[in-house]
Amino acid sequence: MDQFIQAGIIGVSLGAQYALLALGFTLIFGILGVVNFSHGGFYMLGGYVAFACVDRLGVPYPLAVLAAVAATAALGWVFELLLIERLVDDHLATLMLTLGLYLIVSTALLQIFGPLSMDFRFPVTGAVRAGPIYAPLENLIVLGICLVAILGLWLILFRTDLGRALRALADDRAVAMAQGLRPKLLFPAAFALATGLAGLTGALVTPILSLSPGVGDPVLATSFLTVILGGLGSLGGAALAAFVVGIVEAYTSVYFGGSIGALMLFVMVLLLLVFRPQGLLGREARGA
Amino acid sequence: MTPLLPRGRFLGGAEIAAILVFVASFAVPMLTKSVLVYSVLNQALVGVVAAQSVWIMLRMNLLSFASPAFMAIGGYTVAIAGQHDITDVFVLTAASFVLPALVAVPLGALVLRLRGTYFVLVTFVLSQIMQLLLFETPGLTGGSNGISGIPAATLFGTELASNRQVVMFACGIALLATVITVCLTRYFRQHFAAIEENEILAESLGLVVWRYKALGFVVAAGVAGLAGYSLVTMLLTAHPSSFDSGTAVDFIAYTIVGGRTSILGPIVGTGLLVYATNLFGTHGQYAQGLYGVLILVVVLALRGGIVGTVASLTRRVR
Repeated sequence: MDQFIQAGIIGVSLGAQYALLALGFTLIFGILGVVNFSHGGFYMLGGYVAFACVDRLGVPYPLAVLAAVAATAALGWVFELLLIERLVDDHLATLMLTLGLYLIVSTALLQIFGPLSMDFRFPVTGAVRAGPIYAPLENLIVLGICLVAILGLWLILFRTDLGRALRALADDRAVAMAQGLRPKLLFPAAFALATGLAGLTGALVTPILSLSPGVGDPVLATSFLTVILGGLGSLGGAALAAFVVGIVEAYTSVYFGGSIGALMLFVMVLLLLVFRPQGLLGREARGA
Repeated sequence: MTPLLPRGRFLGGAEIAAILVFVASFAVPMLTKSVLVYSVLNQALVGVVAAQSVWIMLRMNLLSFASPAFMAIGGYTVAIAGQHDITDVFVLTAASFVLPALVAVPLGALVLRLRGTYFVLVTFVLSQIMQLLLFETPGLTGGSNGISGIPAATLFGTELASNRQVVMFACGIALLATVITVCLTRYFRQHFAAIEENEILAESLGLVVWRYKALGFVVAAGVAGLAGYSLVTMLLTAHPSSFDSGTAVDFIAYTIVGGRTSILGPIVGTGLLVYATNLFGTHGQYAQGLYGVLILVVVLALRGGIVGTVASLTRRVR
């Protein structure tokens, strides 16, 4: 029973991390119609920026995390404004652009930091005990920050004019533009918001897991998995699916081991894509 | 499946040139004994077959990340057959084409319901599933160890064991894959062009779109299987890392950079990028950055890729 509860805590903590990643990914698809293959790259970049700030510049970790968010959001903004914006309606072309960016970012990081794993540790260690159950403190802190970030994103999207504008553009771009909304200003903002979230996750999670040039690939795969499960473009669906994926992953790794859990999830997603492309909570968007 | 009568000649200049390239490639191992040339040529010959598999799907405006999955089926078929002392080139070539193609029939029925972005995602998921399956079935595939010590292929009882023979074998597979690709895309070129241009319109005009998409998907899977055979023969081992879903990015880069409008695109793209990768020498991992830059340049500035751009420049000069 203790093992069951502990796996549940790990699952929820993983779910919160996946939610941050998936919300960013689905935000970009929902608003711009772009499948962001560079999402894992922004996660990785966030990790490396935080690492460089802490290790090379001696900046305290919390500030390093903010620096990582700023750097990834800035790169996202510039990339959208200069490149994506030109071809925003061509889905295959934008997909290729983000793929190109991912290859460039990962090669640049490889060039700068080398192929080995970085010695990047979370500044707080220890565990919280409640009877026989204990949870690593760093996981709980990351869980807390992720939940605050998800709440913050919800507030931005549903309680501010910026959020209303972004949702209007996602809903019907032509009508939103006729109402005077300016995609040239809002699209880069949406892209920056999403890549900043990926950078935040990278800065928070890589000190706990690992930081090396290959860490972006599984992140991209997990983001795909989560957003397809939740429904491409659906924010609520992405958040729900992220927790489903996190919890399934935690329990299957505890009780079955190996990659059976991941295999089950992928097969589930394959079937869902085929029979219900709109996902768990999504509605059919952009012609599946 | 009555084809519309193709107007003009069955083979265009590009197709004839493509076939001639691979006929001529047999001369290279005859002319040199350089191990470096053999190695680069062999990598390019494997890559070009995989890139043609991507290209077939792009003819219908479908970007597929599934080629490594079908390559794995082709490659592991040959490796497992080798363990049972089946080494005949003709049998294994047929098996490495037919098995992935057969697997693609039910898969195609499922995934071809999707278009555009959703199709891209589902093929990405397919290659992830294949990776996990390779790791989770150690009894059949050797799991994370893969299958090593694959015996050399035999042609009429003669072992193709020397470096030169292995390269010649790769030339043969590339030629076969090109002939198959040419036959498919030329015979059904108007159907594929209609689907690429506007699938809904094509369907409303009476074209049974799913048939041609399924046919393309199945043949593309078979061609990828041939690439898997060629790869396993080159490496003498079948390992999950050889069929990583990330390798799909390379094949897509070859096709897009070379140009998606002509069969010469994947050939030129593969040749150039494999050569460039080898220029980096031991730092081959940095080639990915070069691919990234080239993809951005092609998508933003040279929409026809290298071959398309050269063709339009030539037309302008004339």
